[in-house]
Parts: sequence; structure tokens; C-alpha cells
Amino acid sequence: MDKHNPHDETAHSEPAEQPNGELYGVLAEFDTPGELIEAARKVRDAGYTEFDCYSPFPVHGIDEAMGIKRTILPLLVFGGGFTGLLLGLLLQWWTNAYDWPWLISGKPIWSLPANIPIGFETTILLSVFTTFFGMWILNRLPQVWHPFFRLDRFARVTDDAFLLGIEARDGKFKAESTSELLKNAGAIAVESCYLDPRPESRTVPKWIYAVIITTGVMALIPFAIIAKARASTSSEPHYHIFGDMDFQPKVKSDATFELFGDSRGNRGVIAGTLARGSLNADDTFYRGLSRAGDGNPSWLAELPASLEVDMKLLERGRERYDIYCAPCHGYDGRGEGAIPRRVKTLGGVWLARNLVDPQGAVAKMPNGQLFNTISNGFNTMMGYAAQIPHRDRWAIVLYVRALQRAQNAGPQDVPADCRNEVR
Amino acid sequence: MSNAEKTLHPEEKFKAGKLAGSFTKTGAGLAVAFGLISVLLGMSQGDHWKRFFFAYVTAWSFVLSLAIGALFFVMLHHLVRARWSTVLRRLAEIMASTFPVLAVAGLGILIPLLAGYGDLYYWAHHDAHNHTINHHLISKLGWWLNPSYFAIRYVIYFAIYIALARTFIKKSREQDESGDPELSNRMRVLSAPLMIVFSFNTVFISFDVLMSLAPKWYSTIFGVNFFGGANIAFFAALILISLVVQRSGRLTRAITTEHYHDLGKWLFAWTFFWAYTAFSQFMLIWYANLPEETIFYKYRMFSEWQWVTIAVAVGHFAFPFVFLLSRWTKRILPSLSFFAVWQLVFHWVDLYWNVMPNYHWEKTQVDGQTVFSGPMMGDPIMHSVGFSPVDVTMWLALAGVFLFAVGRSMTGNLIAIKDPHLPSSLSFENY
Repeated sequence: MDKHNPHDETAHSEPAEQPNGELYGVLAEFDTPGELIEAARKVRDAGYTEFDCYSPFPVHGIDEAMGIKRTILPLLVFGGGFTGLLLGLLLQWWTNAYDWPWLISGKPIWSLPANIPIGFETTILLSVFTTFFGMWILNRLPQVWHPFFRLDRFARVTDDAFLLGIEARDGKFKAESTSELLKNAGAIAVESCYLDPRPESRTVPKWIYAVIITTGVMALIPFAIIAKARASTSSEPHYHIFGDMDFQPKVKSDATFELFGDSRGNRGVIAGTLARGSLNADDTFYRGLSRAGDGNPSWLAELPASLEVDMKLLERGRERYDIYCAPCHGYDGRGEGAIPRRVKTLGGVWLARNLVDPQGAVAKMPNGQLFNTISNGFNTMMGYAAQIPHRDRWAIVLYVRALQRAQNAGPQDVPADCRNEVR
Repeated sequence: MSNAEKTLHPEEKFKAGKLAGSFTKTGAGLAVAFGLISVLLGMSQGDHWKRFFFAYVTAWSFVLSLAIGALFFVMLHHLVRARWSTVLRRLAEIMASTFPVLAVAGLGILIPLLAGYGDLYYWAHHDAHNHTINHHLISKLGWWLNPSYFAIRYVIYFAIYIALARTFIKKSREQDESGDPELSNRMRVLSAPLMIVFSFNTVFISFDVLMSLAPKWYSTIFGVNFFGGANIAFFAALILISLVVQRSGRLTRAITTEHYHDLGKWLFAWTFFWAYTAFSQFMLIWYANLPEETIFYKYRMFSEWQWVTIAVAVGHFAFPFVFLLSRWTKRILPSLSFFAVWQLVFHWVDLYWNVMPNYHWEKTQVDGQTVFSGPMMGDPIMHSVGFSPVDVTMWLALAGVFLFAVGRSMTGNLIAIKDPHLPSSLSFENY
């Protein structure tokens, strides 16, 4: 016990140069959290209300022992969370459905499922704020100074001391009997605490107010500038806060640039050079052209010789066709894909060529021309050169030929020994 | 001092005794009576037992989820070295010992499936895997979704569940005799790796039993959602079983309001967890807007099923969430038991909502081949809910099977009498 008690039990610990004013209260130290709980219960039962317990860590059961009512914080948090939910939904409704209606991937303008994650977040945000600031307010924080700070013993409350302080303003408080009660409750030391008699010691220094007010006013300056800019017009250029971001030393594409004689920023292709990977010298493979015979280019009739034609290529062609071509031309190639059918139901017209009509243009086209159509488009059909690599375009050509064959098949296409199985 | 550690009260009754018999009798009675009614109702449906088996899957996955929740609770208790729940752990262990009986009860689904019955899981139809006519996805899943591999997995799932439950229950009972604290440590070490095994098992059994009812539709969070629902149901059931045990004069001092309060917190927490995963599943599918996925929700949101959907959202989440928020609704036992019963009922409604809309797939004959159409085949025909009494009688019958199984494993002590954490659990208080 003695190690906690360097002072005489009734001695006052403050240094001589600090004069004492009126009595603030008494502070008692206990050896264990258990004894602190017991003492708190005794003090409560004796009828004291203006007292508090101080410990280095939360002590379970102390609220009940001190007779503290359950906190109303949970109710506040519920209110905060609910407000957060409503505000979150209101924010989304107002910004997206009311003030600036904005259609996102065909969803309804005011679409609850999409709003729930944000409503969830704002619920949590305001719950957390209410918890944090509600706790501060209910505990009257921040408290930068307390009369018990004058006692050296009080500094140990963050270390290993379990303290109970009773304030003199309590109706039951009497210097003698209160100390006696605490000693009987098992205190290993009881100290009286006096206020500092100097009035300035109990007021916040004026310069702190000055700093707070100055900071507050300066924080309003940006808002004042924004308000001014919104409410007035000006011929002056606007503020450039980040100059090197607003004025970057570079030339944007298609902009003028006076350094060159022609004043153009775009410099074009330098004669005799090629971008990496864009040589594509083989006209047959890359453009579907044939230079057989007189040397003049004509559409290639067969498939490029460099292409290995097998089932794998055909399967690849089917896969690519189903992705890029089927939406318009249909899986069977008859030009009745999902898009034309949908447009038809809406009363419009969307023409897609029948690829498999034996009398149609596609059936008569050389392979090279078909390849070229896929690459560069035809009429309203756009070119797919950007999406489909060359080899895949040839695979699609191959698959379209297979489709033409399959869609116009007759009994003669069935192997003789299987014909009986087909009705 | 209030947080002094207590020991089991000398007059406390903690032996199962006759209580086991009343569980077994009640359970067997329910199972036989409602089982017979269900068979008669199933026969009278005139749909080749289809409704009967859909009701069977709903009810069976309900009782299965209780046992899964119980096993998770026991493993979690060891994994985090929980103390407050020690007084309740034996009851959870008893609930987790029901796996063998549930495995037998599940044969009612498995055996017809192996015998070629294809009206419940339509992937069991040979023609369902026909590439050209039916969806190619099902034909690609054929290696996984076929009756014989399903049966193999069924055996694996239950072998794992039974082994896990046995491991922990055996050691726990052993400790009742020896009081060896080392057993607790060993269970803690075991629980970590076994928890991983448990997770995979639970996710895949839910995929196989429930999600494969709509083989074209898939959701990776489905298993987690099922697991959340299972925990809601388990904690609700544990609250009710604890109350029944106390009503019989056993453990009257050991289980206190403080324990019920914490069970209520768990019930609340899982309610939210379930809703979170259910919404995650809905949100992603709704937003991605892929036809084969959204059909699942489209059917449930725009046909008559929308009322069941609203009932699940409000009844399984919103209402209990708001009311279980407060402290007093969890500490006043009539209120807590009301929500326990409520959540058990709505867990069943949730499973019903998952299973029953799949009932309306149809098969037609085209050129001698079976073509499947209906809600899960991309053809959104809006059927009505079509409630049938067999749905409920089957549920009561399987609940009877579960109570019977609980009674069977209710032997010896109802509390882990020599667990080193028992004293701190007995003196547990919420601050």
C-alpha cells in the first residue's frame, strides 16, 4: 500500500508558491478497480451526486455503482443514422432526378436499388458523427483544464491510480465527514484540492480567443470569393491557383503551333517511316487483294494461302461471328438479328443484309471483297477493323461461307449412308 | 464484487434425463403425422410429385441450415476462445449432432434423383443437356450436375459435416469427464483450419441443393447468403431451445438474461448480415443487367411473387432490424422469443422464395426431344405463386425430424460442466 502513498494522508501536495483559494473538493485514491467500485457504491448510497471516478482504463460495473443512468447516446445515434439515410436519399433524388435529370444505362431516373449503397454510407457517416460528437457533448468535452490538475496525484490517473473525487458544491459535502467516509471506504490516501485564488488562472487567455476568431474569419475567405464570383461578372481572367497545371508546356492535337512554318501542331507521317507493327505488306492477307494475272489488284477469290484452314479456324469464326455479326445479321445469317427485330417492334426499320441468300450479293462476292466489307464497312454498316484482327476477319469469312452452305443444304449434302436417318 | 467468477449452482439441474424423451416423442409425432399428410397431399397434386419434392427441398434445407448454424457457432466459439457462450455451447453441440439424421432425411431427395426422377432438378433430365435445343450452359455444366456425381458430393458433404461435429462434440464430452483444459486448446487449434473446410462445404452444398434448382442462373454470393440465413435460423432456434430447457427446470440459474441478450445481438447481427448479402446479390445482378441473371429477379419482382419478395425484405429484415436495435427487445424474453419465432418463420419464407419460383419450369416435346421452358429458361411467363398446403406440412414434418434428432443426441450433461471458461460464462454480464 505504501508505494502508492508517498504523502501523508491528509497532507496537501501543492508546492508553496501556489497559494490556495477556496476548497474545490477531495480526491481519494484506491488500490484496485474493485475497491473503487465498492467505494463509489458507498459514496452513492451516502447521497452524494457531484462526484466522479477516474481510472486508467474503463472499469466494468462502475456506472451501476456510481448510480449513473444509461446514456441516451444510442437514441441520438439512431436519430443521426436515420437522418443520414434520409439525407443520402434526398441528395441523390435532388441531384439526379430533380435538379439535373441524368439517365444512367437506361435505369429509371429515380431508382432506389442504385441509391441504397449511398444511403447506407450516409447512414453510417451520420451515425459515426453523432456517436463521436454526441459523446463529446454528453461528456462536456473538450475539457482542457480541471481543478484536480493541481494535484500531482491526479497525473497518475493515466498510469496506475484509481481515484474518486467529490466536489465541494455537493449539498452533502463537509470537509471532515466526506474525508472520513472515503477513508472508511478503503481509500489509501485522501487529499483536499483547492482552487487557484488568482482569477486569471480560471479564464482562457485572450490570445487564444484571438487565434480562434482570426482562423475562423480566414476560413471564410474562400467562400467569400466563391460567393463574389457567382454573384458578379468580371472581364479579368479567373484565378489560376495551379499555374503549371493550367498552362502546360505541350501542344494539343489539332492545335496551332507557331514554331513550325506551316503553323500546325500535327506533324503527320514522316516520309519513309512506319509505325511499329503497321507494315502489313502482304496485300492478300491484310487487304484481300490478289495481283495474279496482269498485276493489277483484284479481289481475292479464295482464302489467303498463308491461312491454315481447319475446324479450329471455323470454330473461331463462329465465335467471332456470334459476337460481332449476329446482333444484326442473325445467328443464321438471314439478316434477322436481335437488333432488326427489336427495331421492328418499335416501328422502325433496320436493314441488315441476308448473307446466305444464294442469289444475294454476298454469295457472289469474292472472299477478298467480303473481307474488305468487314474491315471497312458497307453502306450503313461500320468497319470492324478496329475490333477484329485480320486473322479473325478471315475466320469470319470462312464461317459465312459455311453458313451459306448450311442454310441452303439439300438432301445431296447428307452422306449417302445417313440419308435414311433423315426423314 | 459483481464480476466475481461463479461456479455452477449446487442445486442446478443439468442432466438431460427425460427431456430428451419428450423432444424425441414430439419430433417423431410431428414427423410421422405431417409426413403422412404431406404424402397424401403430394399424391393428390397430380403433378407427378413435383410439388411434394419442391416442398421437401425447402423444408430439408431449412432444418439443414439449423444444423449448419449450430456447427458454425461451436467452431466459432473455439476459434475466438469465446467465454460468454460456454453455458450455451453444449446445446449448440446437440443441435450440430443432428447431421446423421438429416443425411438420412435427405435421401428422400437423393434416392428418387438416382432412380431417374427428373422433375425436381431438371438438369437430371437427360435431354436438359442437349446442346442444340436447350441452353448450352446446362450442357456445359453436365459434368457437375448429374445424378451420380451429385450423390458422390452428397456423401462427401455429410461425411465432412458429421466428422466436424463429431470432432468437437467428442472432445467436449471428454472434458466433462476429465476437466482437462488442454482439450480446449486443442479444439481451438483445430477450429481454425476446419473452419475453412466448413466454409467450402457450406457454400457448395447450398449451390448443389438450392442454386442448381435454376441451373442457368448463378450467383457466387449465394452460399454466403444461405450461410447468413442459416445463422439467423440457428440463433432463433437456440433461443427457443434454451427457453424450453429452462422451462423444464434445467439450467435455470446458468443461462441468464445476459446470455439471451447476447443471443439477441447475434440474431440481430445475422439479420443484417443476411440482408447485406441478399442486397449485394440483388444489386450486382440488377445493375449488370445480364438477361440470364436478371430473369431470377425479374420473375420474383414483377409477377405475383413480388408480394413474397416484399414480405421477405420487410419481414426478414426491416421489421426485426428496427425492433432488435434496442436493448430492451433483446432482454425481455417474451419479446426476444417473439422475434426468434418470427425469424424462423421468415427464414423458411426466404428459402421458399428461393426454391418455389423454380417450380414453374415446363417441358414440352419438340421433334421427340424435351424442351425446357419457364421462369429459369429465359422465357418469363409470369405464373402465380400457387401456394400449396403441402409446402407447410412438409416443413412441419422435417421440423419434427429435426426435433427428433435433437432429442436423440440430448444425452448426459446439457452444459459443459468442466470447461475452464464456464465460471466466467456463468458470471457474464453486459455492461
